[in-house]
Amino acid sequence: MQALLTYIISGLALAGSFALIGSGMVVVYRVTHVLNFAQGMLAVFGAMISYSLLGGMLPHGLAELVAVICCAVIGVAIGVIAIGKPGTPPMISLLITLGIGMIAQAVVIAIWGQDPVSPPGISGSIQILGVNLATQRLLVFLVALVTFALLSLFFARTDIGKALTAAAANPRAARLVGIHPLAMGLVAFAIAGALGGLAGVLIAPTTAVSVSSDLPLVLSGFAAAIFGGLRSPWMTFLGAVILGVVGQLVAAYGNGSYQTPIALLMMLVIMIVRAGRMATEEAK
Amino acid sequence: MSTSAVRVRPSLGRARWIAAIVVFIVLAVIPLLLNDLTFFVQTVLAAVVVTGLSLFMGYAGQVSLGQSAFVAVGGLTVAALTVNLGLPPLLTLVLAPILGAAVAALIGWPLLRLRGHYLAFGTLAVLLIIQTVMATVPFLGGGIGIFGIPPLSIGPIVFSGQLPYAYLALAALAGAMAVAHNLVNSRFGRGIRALAGSESAAASSGVPVLRSKVVVFAVAGAFAGLAGGIGAFFTPFVSQDTYPPFTSFGYVIMAMVGGLGTLWGGVVGAVVLSLWLQLLSTLASLPGLPPTAGPILQYAGYGVVLVVFLLLLPRGIVPSVGDAVDRWATRRRLPPIPADEQEEERVDAR
Repeated sequence: MQALLTYIISGLALAGSFALIGSGMVVVYRVTHVLNFAQGMLAVFGAMISYSLLGGMLPHGLAELVAVICCAVIGVAIGVIAIGKPGTPPMISLLITLGIGMIAQAVVIAIWGQDPVSPPGISGSIQILGVNLATQRLLVFLVALVTFALLSLFFARTDIGKALTAAAANPRAARLVGIHPLAMGLVAFAIAGALGGLAGVLIAPTTAVSVSSDLPLVLSGFAAAIFGGLRSPWMTFLGAVILGVVGQLVAAYGNGSYQTPIALLMMLVIMIVRAGRMATEEAK
Repeated sequence: MSTSAVRVRPSLGRARWIAAIVVFIVLAVIPLLLNDLTFFVQTVLAAVVVTGLSLFMGYAGQVSLGQSAFVAVGGLTVAALTVNLGLPPLLTLVLAPILGAAVAALIGWPLLRLRGHYLAFGTLAVLLIIQTVMATVPFLGGGIGIFGIPPLSIGPIVFSGQLPYAYLALAALAGAMAVAHNLVNSRFGRGIRALAGSESAAASSGVPVLRSKVVVFAVAGAFAGLAGGIGAFFTPFVSQDTYPPFTSFGYVIMAMVGGLGTLWGGVVGAVVLSLWLQLLSTLASLPGLPPTAGPILQYAGYGVVLVVFLLLLPRGIVPSVGDAVDRWATRRRLPPIPADEQEEERVDAR
């Protein structure tokens, strides 16, 4: 029983990072219908920048904040290339972000090299229901939870959040009431950049991040976002929790190497089950 | 299509045949001039894979980020069946495209209900699942890989050295292009061309949408399987790292660069991108550069080509050049094409 609880709690801690990556993809997809393949690289940038800044330049807190802001700027740069050219279809934008992700990998190797880095985080651990959990992991989960609460408030309550949703729902009507869809798209990319950077900053202290973390991060984020049909933040969170916990249980009771395939299979099944609904949604 | 286009076609067709034969003669001479054929064989095999992928992306209007999965199936067919079961090499080479097509059809049946981003990620997921299976199942290499694949032999003739494989790869490319050409210009081909224009319009005209997509996916899977099989004989070693996602993305880039849904797009894309990467890796090995220059230039080389082409030449080289030639030819011979016919030509690009 105690063992089961351990796996569930460590799965929940893992879910926080999936959710943060997924949330960035959801924000961009909601507003622009573009899937940002470079989202994983944003997290890698967050980890790398905070690692460099914490190496003596800035104190804790400030370093992480600067890293997140840098990632928001990088996010806007990605957005400008991916959706800046008018009339770019979403599928082409996906491939552009794939290309940007590769260029970003080149940049990261050029500046930081190929070795994984792990900036210092909060040390120590906390007992939860008799399970030992690293404080940093608890922090990831809590920050993810708060971020999702803020995100849903932002979309539902603020003017700019509503404008973002409007630009996504009907670009032409949004333009009629004075909302600029491209500007909204870039705001979405900035938010996604910040969320990706936040994910990287928080994950790296417990799980070292390198250039090759890109693909696993994107896939876990996408898999979580699939649960919410790439639109709903809270369903993404739920998806992340399911993926995290199931992954830990598979690793514990089955074969550790089947953790990723099981997550991918779950993702495939959910996508195919939802395909009927999505077909009506996208057949315009 | 109006009569004028039909009238132009016979002469154009003959010109294209001659051009195709000239290109293949040039390609057949190149291996005789080179010392090391690794680059040549890899490029031709990539062209075989991309010919299929271009067909799928162009006509089904979807992106497959996991085409390496079917290359892996072909490679595994050859490696596992010759080394572990001792089957004759020729038989496994015949089985490689068949199993590639079968796996593609089997996976495609549920998977091709997905579209757009979902399918792109779905195919990538399939590749990663196959990689994990290769890394864990002992029969398929079990993380170590499969060494000592015997050379291909037909009766008493043994394919030793690199040269026979260069010609085998070229034959595979010619075969793949012939299949692609005949497929597109058949009754089935008209169906999938309608599919590329509008899925719902094609469906309402009686084109079985899902089944057509699965067939095209299976054909692309067969090409990939064949390339993987020849590649396994050539290397002669296969492991899960032989088919990384990065190579798979490379196929998509080659298809986009060459031009989707065109017969020559796969060849042009594979040759252009391979030469470009070869140039970059030569640059990276210049004295005085750090060891990380190689991966940096490789990643940046792939990424920059993809982004630049998507933004500046989204239809790829072959359709853009083809249009320019057509415009030049029609300006000399015929009055300008009415707008509705240009629309039809544009369908190929999607």
